[in-house]
Amino acid sequence: MLIDVAAPADHDLADHDLADRERADHYLADFVLPAEREAHDPPEARGLARDGVRLLVSRRASGEVSHHAFADLPGLLLPGDLLVVNTTGTLPAQVRAAGGLAVHFSTARPDGSWLVELRQVKDKISRPNGHGHPGQVIPLPAGASLTLLNRATARLWRARLSVAVVPYLLRHGLPIRYSYVRRDWPLSFYQTVFAARPGSAEMPSASRPFTPEVVTALATRGVLIAPLTLHCGVSSLEAGEDPYPELYDVPPATARLVNHVRASGGRVIAAGTTVVRALETAARADGQVAAAAGWTAHVVTPQTGVRAVDGLLTGLHEPRSSHLRMLAAFAGPELLARCYAEAISSGYLWHEFGDVHLLLP
Amino acid sequence: MNTQVALITGASRGLGRALATGLAREGLALIIDARNAAALQQTAAQLRAAGGTVTAISGDVTDPAHRAALLAAVQTAGRLDLLVNNAGTLGASPLPALADYPAADLRTAFEANVIAPIALIQLMLPLLRASGGAVLNITSDAAREAYAGWGGYGAAKAALEQASNVLAAEELAVRVWWADPGDLRTDMHQQAFPGQDISDRPRPESVVPAFVRLISQRLPGGRYRAADLMPAVHS
Repeated sequence: MLIDVAAPADHDLADHDLADRERADHYLADFVLPAEREAHDPPEARGLARDGVRLLVSRRASGEVSHHAFADLPGLLLPGDLLVVNTTGTLPAQVRAAGGLAVHFSTARPDGSWLVELRQVKDKISRPNGHGHPGQVIPLPAGASLTLLNRATARLWRARLSVAVVPYLLRHGLPIRYSYVRRDWPLSFYQTVFAARPGSAEMPSASRPFTPEVVTALATRGVLIAPLTLHCGVSSLEAGEDPYPELYDVPPATARLVNHVRASGGRVIAAGTTVVRALETAARADGQVAAAAGWTAHVVTPQTGVRAVDGLLTGLHEPRSSHLRMLAAFAGPELLARCYAEAISSGYLWHEFGDVHLLLP
Repeated sequence: MNTQVALITGASRGLGRALATGLAREGLALIIDARNAAALQQTAAQLRAAGGTVTAISGDVTDPAHRAALLAAVQTAGRLDLLVNNAGTLGASPLPALADYPAADLRTAFEANVIAPIALIQLMLPLLRASGGAVLNITSDAAREAYAGWGGYGAAKAALEQASNVLAAEELAVRVWWADPGDLRTDMHQQAFPGQDISDRPRPESVVPAFVRLISQRLPGGRYRAADLMPAVHS
């Protein structure tokens, strides 16, 4: 049966209605996130199941925006689509030191040093701590010590811990928590169902709503699932700061499956911006993905475009965050701005315990 | 894309030579070592004749100067994607009971099978991290089973397995595999059974497809048995 398809809304914009685009860019840079749109607690604390969060769906081809429950995801994808998931596990990456100092361990580096952020805890809320000097030795619990080497960014230090970092964090760390979350939650609240390789400073939160039931429904529907790993660093970047290099690993079997699915007309849907970053790092200009591993500094923007990924499941992001530029590469700024305006007016919740957004082609 | 580089120790004969041949066929550039310089050069010549890119450096992995020479060769190559700690020693032959195991032979077994591989890993880690590379430590079921006479070798391999296990927990950027190839028709196996006919054991070449699968598919870190990794045969 032939279906008469209306011209995609985007084609109308291909002539560049510049005023619209600028308005959208402006909105994405400047929208105000009302405090009541922040998820202060996990959905489980709000009486919901993990998969009970809301799912905003936008479709670039039609310009349509619709509202769903996350558990509807299997029905929104098609048999033969490939969902690529991040198997990183969340580390308890925060270590409390004397004097209210907290150290957030962000990212391992090839020389064995780590990028860390120093924070000051006051009234149970941690804020950036601008202090520290090269060579400073910070005593940490259980006899460990952290030596600051040099500043890597405005906020992050390159530093060396006296013992192996990952086993130390697993014994002595707490999950990283920012001020909008009102209390500490156990590490299990920060693990996704796909977590297999501990290494992230923060949870890859787009995958948080997945439950065994949703994964089973996806499998039953014929949606394929393939793993990769990208260890997420801390997200507390200054506005406008690009994400720094992160460790990633796209295994050969996943690379082959991505190429196979796209060649067969299926869609590759990334579960999280981390998955986009890893796949786009491993993608060639022609969209073919090759197995790859190491550190990636690749940043996806409307200018770089997306070459190997068709859709994105992600959380709701803050104004000016670099993630919004990646999202704009999928949806275009006009549709994305409309999604965000609608998410605010419809009462969606932001941050890692909040609602999610599926950007479809 | 730059050619991937693998360092394989103990590559002049047996499993090491078979692995080197298999990985050269997969297109990896190789740095190989062995104590016996003549045997090593012969293996290197065979690999090159088959189109391989090979740097051969003879020496003993328990010698820090030799390990430094291996690092220099890797730095010349510019990258390292895989370190195969294959070189090892049986200890005493014929295999004595632990009750009678000469302490000097025990020390030799631990030096070659545990200390040297760990020292080599330490040297190579920065390069392996930078490339998202992997370590493959060759182990044995003697690390897990209580075979009479294998107390020295088995205890050393058990130590290597646990070192691998811990390394995998400590290193985010490097895959760590430790793999048991199974009993093979090698000189080392013959030393364990002097005078016996071991021709019923499979040739080392027979398990190479299992290791190629482990390496080329970059399977998750952990302990493997070659027998479990043999690829499916399509008829």
